[in-house]
Amino acid sequence: MKSTSYEFFKGLWKENPTFRLLLGMCPTLAVTNAAINGFAMGLATTFVLLGSNIMIAALKKLIPDKVRIPSYIIIIATFVTIADLGLAAYFPDIYKVLGLFIPLIVVNCIILGRAEAFASRNSVGASLLDALGMGAGFTWALTLLGIIREILGMGSVFGIKLFGESFISWIIFILPPGAFLTLGLLLGLFNALSKKKAEAN
Amino acid sequence: MKNSTARLIIVLAIISIGSGLLLALTYNFTIPSIEANAAREQEIAILETLPGATKYEEIAGTEYSMYKGFDDTGKLIGISYVAEGGGFQGIIKMMIGINPEKEEITGIKILSHSETPGLGARIGEAGFQGQFAGKSINDSFVAKEDVEAITGATISSKAVAGIIKDSLPKAMEQYKASGGGK
Repeated sequence: MKSTSYEFFKGLWKENPTFRLLLGMCPTLAVTNAAINGFAMGLATTFVLLGSNIMIAALKKLIPDKVRIPSYIIIIATFVTIADLGLAAYFPDIYKVLGLFIPLIVVNCIILGRAEAFASRNSVGASLLDALGMGAGFTWALTLLGIIREILGMGSVFGIKLFGESFISWIIFILPPGAFLTLGLLLGLFNALSKKKAEAN
Repeated sequence: MKNSTARLIIVLAIISIGSGLLLALTYNFTIPSIEANAAREQEIAILETLPGATKYEEIAGTEYSMYKGFDDTGKLIGISYVAEGGGFQGIIKMMIGINPEKEEITGIKILSHSETPGLGARIGEAGFQGQFAGKSINDSFVAKEDVEAITGATISSKAVAGIIKDSLPKAMEQYKASGGGK
């Protein structure tokens, strides 16, 4: 039996959705051109994950197997729309940037993946921890990507300029190819780290 | 009977109704803020493109969304209208302020665009937008000639200049047709 805290901490590193499971690559690549965008996307996804995981864990006995996927999708879409409206109402600046990618959280495989693989088989409490851990793991991964791309591509972090006027920004890093380059390098780095750790053990 | 057809239908129907209810509540709760945001954004854009104006009213019956801006004493400062056209990757939408008497642009503001971040997206910067203020509406608006283009974003710069040039005569015509030119 795995401990309760494991359900939270596994999302941060061991089963990190971005660097270990490689789920949800579409928003990962698309919105991380600035640190704040990655961070906001991570939080919005965490919110949806939290809502859908709790709801699905609570309703798992009521939902017949045959219609579980459509049921999950309706529940997920509901929380995505709530996040969409909430961002539009209270964070219009972030909403303008993330715009199209908020509704697309519906098809983020992390969310349906957690619903199917975890929430539909576990208690509400464990599903809540799972959602928080996975959400936190996704958020830090996207924020890290955003920070790296923003520093190289614009010379700033969270909108704060780091270098003087003479800094020549590497614009490719805030364009789509930069997303692939950064993600690829980070994946390589994290794989090397994990391998080293495994060998040490 | 966990998998009987009736049960499938009932469960899906209940989930959908629950979802609909929750969304209706959220919508009702957030829509005032969303509308207020849109209105505030519009007001900022109108007043920014008409320096000196402190209030505005919509002109009815024009094809473009068009607004008159007034200063504190109620004097007409100019008119502002929304124009759009194709950019490098999508539609560029902007507010253009003109002084119809002097036939001069008072300011422009990009409302939305989907140009390349770091390159074409710089059309949203004050340095680029600012150069249009004070230009005569009869200028030629050619990027790299009388309009300074953004390095690496010639297409976006040309698109902005083109939208301004195309829309100006139409806007003046519509303004006069609405009775404002007298």
